Amino acid sequence: MKLLDWVIVVGYLAYVIWDGIRMTKNSGNVEGYFLANRSLPWWAVGLSVMATQLSAITLVGTTGQAYTDGMRFIQFYYGLPLAMVILCITVVPFFYRAKVYTAYEYLENRFDAKTRSLTSFFFLISRGLGVGVIIAAPSVILSIVLGWSEVVTIFVIGLSTTFYTMVGGVQAVTWTDVKQMTIIFFGLFVVLFVIVSQFPPHVSLTDGLYLAGSLGKLQTVNTSFDLTEKYTIWSGLIAALFLFLSYFGCDQSQVQRFLTSKSVSEGRTSLLMSAFFKIPMQFMILLVGVLVFVFYQFVMPPMLFNTVEADKIPPSAQYSALQSDFQRAHEVRKEAALAFVGSRTETTREAYVSADKGFNDARKNAIDFVKTSTGNSSFNDVNYVFPTFVVENMPMGVIGLIIAAIFAAAMSSISAELNALATATTIDFYRRHFQKEATDKHYVRFGRIATFFWGIFACIVAMYATNIGSLIEVVNKFGSFFYGSLLGVFVLAIVVKRARARGAFFGLLFGIASVWIASSYTNIEFLWFNVVGCLVTVAAGYLISLTVTDKEIISSNA
Amino acid sequence: MKIDPDKKIDPSVELPDAWWHRVYIGVIIATILVITALWAFSQHFSS
Repeated sequence: MKLLDWVIVVGYLAYVIWDGIRMTKNSGNVEGYFLANRSLPWWAVGLSVMATQLSAITLVGTTGQAYTDGMRFIQFYYGLPLAMVILCITVVPFFYRAKVYTAYEYLENRFDAKTRSLTSFFFLISRGLGVGVIIAAPSVILSIVLGWSEVVTIFVIGLSTTFYTMVGGVQAVTWTDVKQMTIIFFGLFVVLFVIVSQFPPHVSLTDGLYLAGSLGKLQTVNTSFDLTEKYTIWSGLIAALFLFLSYFGCDQSQVQRFLTSKSVSEGRTSLLMSAFFKIPMQFMILLVGVLVFVFYQFVMPPMLFNTVEADKIPPSAQYSALQSDFQRAHEVRKEAALAFVGSRTETTREAYVSADKGFNDARKNAIDFVKTSTGNSSFNDVNYVFPTFVVENMPMGVIGLIIAAIFAAAMSSISAELNALATATTIDFYRRHFQKEATDKHYVRFGRIATFFWGIFACIVAMYATNIGSLIEVVNKFGSFFYGSLLGVFVLAIVVKRARARGAFFGLLFGIASVWIASSYTNIEFLWFNVVGCLVTVAAGYLISLTVTDKEIISSNA
Repeated sequence: MKIDPDKKIDPSVELPDAWWHRVYIGVIIATILVITALWAFSQHFSS
């Protein structure tokens, strides 16, 4: 990194904190601090919805995934537009007109305080841990790229975001999200342009796409019905649909975005904006990863992108032999790639595919060697591909811009999550159970304290998450347990008239248990857990509700 | 209900359901077109 890059990164951090802090106008009352007085325009809310979902690990991980696995991941988003349409018809008008602060508040109106508290509690636990992981993942990568310690990167990302979120509330979150999305888009366009400009003179973008396509890296539709296959058009259109319905419709970090809109129409428009732009945006991010792959057909890539793990390996004859094999395999593949670009025949294509297989085998041998020699059986350097590529190959200024974009992606998600955690803590627990009658100033002060608490909590979780790899898996799994079942509770609330509080409460517990059983005793991919959780919660909730007599309802109301 | 495209819409006023139904159908058609375009893109460069 050169001076200009540091100026861009530090300038970005200083600007975003200053910008967030100055958004304190109209945030002195509860509605202003948590919902921006329901005054935000649809385009700002729409960008905030997209920014919240696009975390740094999405940006960095997706490009790395495209480098190794191609564009298959895009199928995950095929169900998103349909989910947005369903949400626009159902929950957006429901929540908006109910004048609630949190999604769970609505459940008390429909069922009881117990169901509200349980769902809000699950949200706090899963999101509280989740935001720690959202901080940890880019912190580890940036610490390697920038040469800082992990603790420093964790606290730079975590505390700076906590600070402006705490002071400015939801307005700071939304307006900084807008600017952060602008930086991310701009950074992606620049990097796309620069990568293509760095291809060899006789290799065009089209040639590069043919190279990637010949290896199956441009596959965007897989019609396999195999439930153990992670990304197919069916898992995207059906299983991910349930996940998106739950995430955008029942997760406070997203619900709070559209509750800040000026009207139901503006809330709907903000979600539909995401429906229109999410797939093309994800395509662009994946395309960056694919083009990085093409770039490395002609330039020697690092054998291991995670340089910290690579440096831990002591020099040995076996490791040197692996490096030689890797270099040889790269040269063979480079020649085959150039031959394929020169004449796209079946013969040159087969030779290129075979050379790529040889290259992949050489890299796999190196990774296996790292796993054995370091004892780290979960070693995976996919998330390091893009940052390493940027730092080693991008020109001065562009490096700073991309690092700022990674910071922006991380901070935009973290701020929304912290704000949502503070809202649920204040509205669903503090105001509901502990301090029912207090001034707006008091609740806003408590909201700021809650934001600070969750920020510190997330930083502490992040420090552990960097050392315990399995924690990330635990958090992701916990999220999957929760999402489908939570969606089931909202389906019971909005769609099933016969549903009662007891059914919703125990239906949720049954749903979570069913997902646990599915994850323990079957091999189905995690996306399908959302379908299982939702269906079991609805079925169990409905059946249990049938056991509630009208007499019981009258006596509980009395 | 007939929609006049030149008529300015006040954002604080709720739009009618009929208008939204057309928008939803438009979103679904656009999604089908996008998925088809992506499929065509991958087929083109894989052949």
